[in-house]
Amino acid sequence: MSKHHLGEFEEIVMLTVAVLHDEAYGIAIIDEMEQRLNRKVSIGALQTVLRRLEKKGYLSSRFGEATKVRGGKRKRYFTLTSYGKKVLAEVKEQRIGLWNAIPKFVLGE
Amino acid sequence: MKKHLSPPKLPLRFFRWYCHPDYREDIEGDLMERLERNTAEKDIRSARWMFIKDVVRLFRPGIIRSLSGSQKLNTYDMFKNYYKVGIRNILKYKTFSFINIFDLAVALSVCMLIILMLADQTGYDRFHVKKDRIYRVLMHPASHSNPYATAPVPISDAMKQQYPIIEDATCLRRGLGGDAVYNNKAVEVKGYFADVSFFNLFSYALEKGDASTAFDKPNSIVIAKGQARKLFGEEDPIGKSIDLTDRGIDFFSDESKEAIDWGTYTVTGVLADNDHRSHLEFDVLVSSSSLELLYKEGKISDLSNDWSNHYQAYVYLLLKESSTEKDLEASLAQLASKQYSDDERLKGSELIPQQLTKITPGPALGNAPTTRLPLFVYYILSALALTIMVFACLNYSNLSIARAVTRTKEIGVRKVNGARRKDLIFQFLSESIITALLAFILACILLNFVKSAFLGLWINNYLSFDLSSNLTVYLISLGFALLIGVLAGAFPALHLSGFKPVRVLKNLKTGRGRLGTRKVLTIAQFVISLLFIITSIVVFKQFRHFMQHEYGFNAGNVMNVNLRSNDFRSVKAALSSVPGVSDVAGSAYLPATGRNDNIVLKADGTEDKQKAIYVSVDENFINVLDIDLIAGQKLYPTATDTNPFIMVNEAMTRAFGYDSPKDIIGESFETLDGQLLKVTGVVEDFTFHLLINGRPIGPVVMRNEPEKFKFASLKIAPGNTNDIITAIEKKWKTVDPVHPLEYEYYEDRLANNNQGIFDVVSIIGFIAFLAISIACLGLLGIAIYTTERRTKEVGIRKVFGASSIKLALLLSKEFFIILVISISIAAPLSHYLNSLWLNFLVTKIELGYGTVFLGSMLLLVLGLMTIGPQTFRIANGNPVNSLKNE
Repeated sequence: MSKHHLGEFEEIVMLTVAVLHDEAYGIAIIDEMEQRLNRKVSIGALQTVLRRLEKKGYLSSRFGEATKVRGGKRKRYFTLTSYGKKVLAEVKEQRIGLWNAIPKFVLGE
Repeated sequence: MKKHLSPPKLPLRFFRWYCHPDYREDIEGDLMERLERNTAEKDIRSARWMFIKDVVRLFRPGIIRSLSGSQKLNTYDMFKNYYKVGIRNILKYKTFSFINIFDLAVALSVCMLIILMLADQTGYDRFHVKKDRIYRVLMHPASHSNPYATAPVPISDAMKQQYPIIEDATCLRRGLGGDAVYNNKAVEVKGYFADVSFFNLFSYALEKGDASTAFDKPNSIVIAKGQARKLFGEEDPIGKSIDLTDRGIDFFSDESKEAIDWGTYTVTGVLADNDHRSHLEFDVLVSSSSLELLYKEGKISDLSNDWSNHYQAYVYLLLKESSTEKDLEASLAQLASKQYSDDERLKGSELIPQQLTKITPGPALGNAPTTRLPLFVYYILSALALTIMVFACLNYSNLSIARAVTRTKEIGVRKVNGARRKDLIFQFLSESIITALLAFILACILLNFVKSAFLGLWINNYLSFDLSSNLTVYLISLGFALLIGVLAGAFPALHLSGFKPVRVLKNLKTGRGRLGTRKVLTIAQFVISLLFIITSIVVFKQFRHFMQHEYGFNAGNVMNVNLRSNDFRSVKAALSSVPGVSDVAGSAYLPATGRNDNIVLKADGTEDKQKAIYVSVDENFINVLDIDLIAGQKLYPTATDTNPFIMVNEAMTRAFGYDSPKDIIGESFETLDGQLLKVTGVVEDFTFHLLINGRPIGPVVMRNEPEKFKFASLKIAPGNTNDIITAIEKKWKTVDPVHPLEYEYYEDRLANNNQGIFDVVSIIGFIAFLAISIACLGLLGIAIYTTERRTKEVGIRKVFGASSIKLALLLSKEFFIILVISISIAAPLSHYLNSLWLNFLVTKIELGYGTVFLGSMLLLVLGLMTIGPQTFRIANGNPVNSLKNE
């Protein structure tokens, strides 16, 4: 029984951050999610989740270099912490466990 | 390569304000990046719109900066402290608190009354679903100063057919008023002719019948529920036939014309009873297709193509949703110029759209369907109420600043302990808001008295005000009270919070001016109070003058009976036999009741034209009204309508240049349509116009035409009139079994003419009373404060041998000067202002210095009475008490 509960959206955000590796900042995450999952994501929704995950210690962040685009504002890059990786792995384990426990005929294979 | 980025400023600022500072930079960067991309991919507008949407979506708990813990706690405790100190201060200085709260409460209650009135008035016509698109067409003839609510009939069709911006239009034709008869039961009804579009525009609900087909057929009638119940009782009215007899009565007067049978009508609908308030009032609506038949029979004039008669119909237009009021204005202006550019009389006339919801309260219009106070009256009343409010606020500021010195220590200590100026302002404001809220509670109680006093005014017989309070009104008033609290407290708060702590605590003079501002404020209050006082005295004197006016005829013991379409001769025959009725006279209308018909006469054989008042009266008229005949003889009792004999007044002989009344006897005058009228007698002058109209006595022509009579004037014996009236009522039934007797004492009627003035007296007098009370209370507050502060000085002076009287005079001097300055400003000003309006009247009082003097003395006495007891108390005090404590 895990004490770390991850919401569906939280999980997707963490996975996307992992996918983007070192390039995960606000807009890039949104783009990636919109492309891969075909769903609309607002900045507001994403940012709240990112901050929450950071507070829980699953993500860490650092500022990038200031550039001329973005009104001269720096990007904040998110990366998975090792704790975050562990939690993701745990979630994956649970899912796989569930998948494996499904009798074959249920999914009609 | 790249365009300059332009994020919407306000949302960006909003974002920067609420966003947690740690996140601000990168999220703003994200927002910008998105904006850049969207600008490149789409257009700027949608990109900016997306930006705003994102900013709004970011406004959520995770992103918003938190209130830091200490900030939160401190605010709460400070509030508690402000509240506590505020309450303590109110309780500590009971007199001052009472003065403040009472002043504000009185002023607030008057303001609440105005809010109630406005809330009532703005509730009109709100129930129509399409109210925002319905416009009434106003006709503004070039020769009139005010527009008319009525407009020519054909506008309705012309607009519907020629202008695509109009979705629908309806026309309400006036002139429907008489008796509805069913099964020998008669009910008096007033109403309009309405066309098929009526129910498309207006959302009147029908209890029975189908609104969409109610006016499809000629001779259909829709009847109000109340009238239907009177006529049909428990029967179902739908499909029943009623007979209509027109008597020409309308909403403006009960004078009825000869009764005409208008035929039979089928009830197609019953209007539901509801508490909707509308500017239109009617008992019945008759389908306008019924008019065709009435035109043919010559019972009503055909106006369907008459562009010049703009007195008989109300036209309402329904605008298409896509069109604006501007389009409508332009279309109506175009129509008006097309129709009236060739018309000599109506050239330059305008057609103006008036939105349905702006009818009540709205501007003063001619021929308005119901009597309402025009908008400008509300402005005046609001201005008066606000004057009182400003007075109360000034009092508050005045007293607070006067008492500031007692609180300087507190302010100093607070500042030393780290209170910023902002915090102190906040503290004083919270005190004034507490005062305002207490005042609001008191005002709610006072409102009941003010309300009943207002509803007791004569004018309310004609205005159906519904002043029952509801939650909205109280909420608005509460908001208003809070606003007043802030306004009243603003000046003291700014002033007191500006003290320098070091100077205050070291007890140095705080270096502000003497009583300058406060004195000016007090003087202003007294000047305005005195203006009101003198004006109300003048108006009252004028009112009394009107009431005592010698009309030149004797209205005593004269009873005017409305003939209600009955023949005068039969009424006279019946009523003159009643014991106690000594004489009966007939007339078309009575002098000094507000109506005058005019005639233009030309002296026979000359081109000398004169306008005269024309009235049909019988030979007894001058006997009943005690008008003296000074030359010739009375009108002949005659039964023919071709009789050429007239009786004139003295003014007529002067107007046509005769030396003596005798010379005009036997002379002939020609009317515009060529009739020759011959003078048989001359009577002395009497007042014909309403006194308020301010017109001098002009020529009057009287002619005996019994078929035009609408009133019978009965001279009755003084004493027990009840028996006589019962006898008259009995006799009346034999003449007219349908309509009840309608009578009025002439004296009452004349007195009623001036009731409106008495209302003005009441209102101005009331305002004067409030103004002077508040001003005096303010004066009292300052007097208490300044004299208390001088007790020590008084004690020392006493020890050195000053007498109480001398000390009292010394203490009063300052206030006496204030009063004298106020009077010397207000007295000439009020004399000037009052003579301005008095000049419009002919029968007027002499505005002497007596009135002004009386008002000034009243003010002086009240002012001195206010401060007198206080100064004497201090002056009489034992010096030991004031000196022993240090």
